Amino acid sequence: MRSWAALLVVVPLLVVVAESPMARATPAAPIDVPACPNGSASPNAAVLIARIDRLLRGRSLVGTLTMSVTTPAWQRTLKFKVWSRGEDLALIRVLEGGPREIGMLTLKRDRQMWNWLPQAGRVMKLPAGMLGDAWMGSDFTNDDLVRGSSWTADFVAALSDAREPGGQELWRVVLTPKPSAVVVWGRIDMLVDARTCQPLAQLFYDEDFALVRRIDLSEIKRVGWREFPSKMTVTPSEPGRSTTLTYDDVAFDADIPDETFSLQRLRQGR
Amino acid sequence: MLLAMAWRNLWRNTRRTIITVMALTLGVAAVVTIHSYRESVFKQMIHEITVGLIGHAQVHAKGYQADPEIGRVVVDPLTVEARLRTALPGAALERRVMGYGLAGVGEASSAALVLGIEPALTPGVRPLVTITRGRALGAHAAQEAVLGRELAVQLDAVPGASLVLVGQAADGSVANDRYIVVGIGDAGSAELNGNAVFLNLTDAQDFFALGAGAHQIIVRLPTSDEDLSTPLATVRAALDLATLEVLAWSEILPELQATMAEKRRYQRVLDLVVILIVGLGVLNAMTMSTFERTREFGVLASLGTRRRRIVGLVVIEALLQGALGCVAGVLLALGLLYALGSLRLGGLSEQDMLGVQLPAVVDVALHPAALVNAVVTALATVLAGGLWPAIRAARHAPAEATRYV
Repeated sequence: MRSWAALLVVVPLLVVVAESPMARATPAAPIDVPACPNGSASPNAAVLIARIDRLLRGRSLVGTLTMSVTTPAWQRTLKFKVWSRGEDLALIRVLEGGPREIGMLTLKRDRQMWNWLPQAGRVMKLPAGMLGDAWMGSDFTNDDLVRGSSWTADFVAALSDAREPGGQELWRVVLTPKPSAVVVWGRIDMLVDARTCQPLAQLFYDEDFALVRRIDLSEIKRVGWREFPSKMTVTPSEPGRSTTLTYDDVAFDADIPDETFSLQRLRQGR
Repeated sequence: MLLAMAWRNLWRNTRRTIITVMALTLGVAAVVTIHSYRESVFKQMIHEITVGLIGHAQVHAKGYQADPEIGRVVVDPLTVEARLRTALPGAALERRVMGYGLAGVGEASSAALVLGIEPALTPGVRPLVTITRGRALGAHAAQEAVLGRELAVQLDAVPGASLVLVGQAADGSVANDRYIVVGIGDAGSAELNGNAVFLNLTDAQDFFALGAGAHQIIVRLPTSDEDLSTPLATVRAALDLATLEVLAWSEILPELQATMAEKRRYQRVLDLVVILIVGLGVLNAMTMSTFERTREFGVLASLGTRRRRIVGLVVIEALLQGALGCVAGVLLALGLLYALGSLRLGGLSEQDMLGVQLPAVVDVALHPAALVNAVVTALATVLAGGLWPAIRAARHAPAEATRYV
């Protein structure tokens, strides 16, 4: 469920950016990355989505992120470091946050998730039933972190009205879940910049096609051949709530040792 | 003299009188028993609710009942309690914290309802959880926990085990801490037994970062009345309703209240059907009896007996049968209720009725309203059943009636 937040948040977060934000020359994109069809009046939606999918996924990622959560009752900021490899392995360490949270670790291995709780001094596995709960009080769910599915695998893409009215030239790509896909969304609309092919926003609709969550992507950064949105703002339908996630620094495709994702090591709080 | 005649007349056809009285007896017994048993179960359930988890009423931060968000607390519960004590001197008060989290022992973990309670309860107030292993929470916060018995099984926890709790605190941070399981117990409902973790109030306030705040102030009143409108009005007048809400148990469990009202409505229909069947039987018997005695009434009239006295005679016969039926019916109901009260309804009582555990042994008592209902309806039925044949009997012309065979 909500795997799209996962892609937009966690994927850039867990998968993408690898060199340094201060990339030297602009390396060419690998040949398997589809070119941006920005000359076309109505591009092939599947190609567009495949390109975005490829842009946002890398072999590994190490990054530091800042997350700000605003609710009607409180506002808070957390800083954490992320290591991730492929779709199945990720580790998150809270660097700054509440006094009971600093040092908290979240380990994701395949579809399972464990937390090291610094105050309790214990590791706790997250039961499957709680994957839908909020992660660290944010508008992301645990499931957003755990899921690693691909847009092209679970959804059928179609280009809706080729141009959005007003301002920026946009494409609206409508993603409809394939009958076999296990997703909670009835539909996802992706707004794509028609000049750069960068995803700008995603609108998540439930099974009754009511808008339940919007993710805006902004502040494009170039890392190596990739250009990716380094800021994500999640606005759920609940009024007064939002979560913003920004990359402070990121590195893509670095070698991360296996033991980083070891449960044994997590149990020692490292 | 009429009474003596009526009494003698009753036993002129013993079999018919006994059948009529028996029909009435069974009808009255059925109505009184079912009505009283149901009311006794309701009374006990309300008792369970009011002395248990819910209380007679609760004070919350405004909007908590509709949206029980973790940060929505009564900020200064001690001041609210002081006001409540002044307004309702006899009431017992208890602060409570309630939030959701994840409980883990060793490798096992399960979703949990974390309940912060005041273990140093007022004497006479029944504890929320009946300890079956280990001990109850200490009077002061010491990182201790008591688990509902099913949750303990699920987590494979025994007294002495280390329990980890994780949840979301009111400030949005990740609440996480470790506690020692000191006891395991029966929390009074299947739901609570399956997910409740009891902590000392202060430990729970720290865990959820609530400061001195509490989610609920439980108000227990020295009354067993179902209607709480007067004490509620007193409580509401004493508190600032711009920031607080005051709810009776029936507003906290509206489904239960609705179910009870519905069952009572069904009961009234059932009472009516039973009494109607009995009434038709009595009517039949009385009509037959007066029909057979047309000649006798004719003779009485020829001897100068007034019509009114003839009607009176038949009516008294009916009422006598009604009275006999009522007395026997109530006696039978008492016997049945006594038998029901001594039954341990073990299998049945494992069930909940909308989250409230049905009592294992129902403390059954004759319900006065049931008694009054049954007796009044039974007498009215026999009276109606007797009156028509009586008037009919008195209307016969004496000469014609005496020729009647």
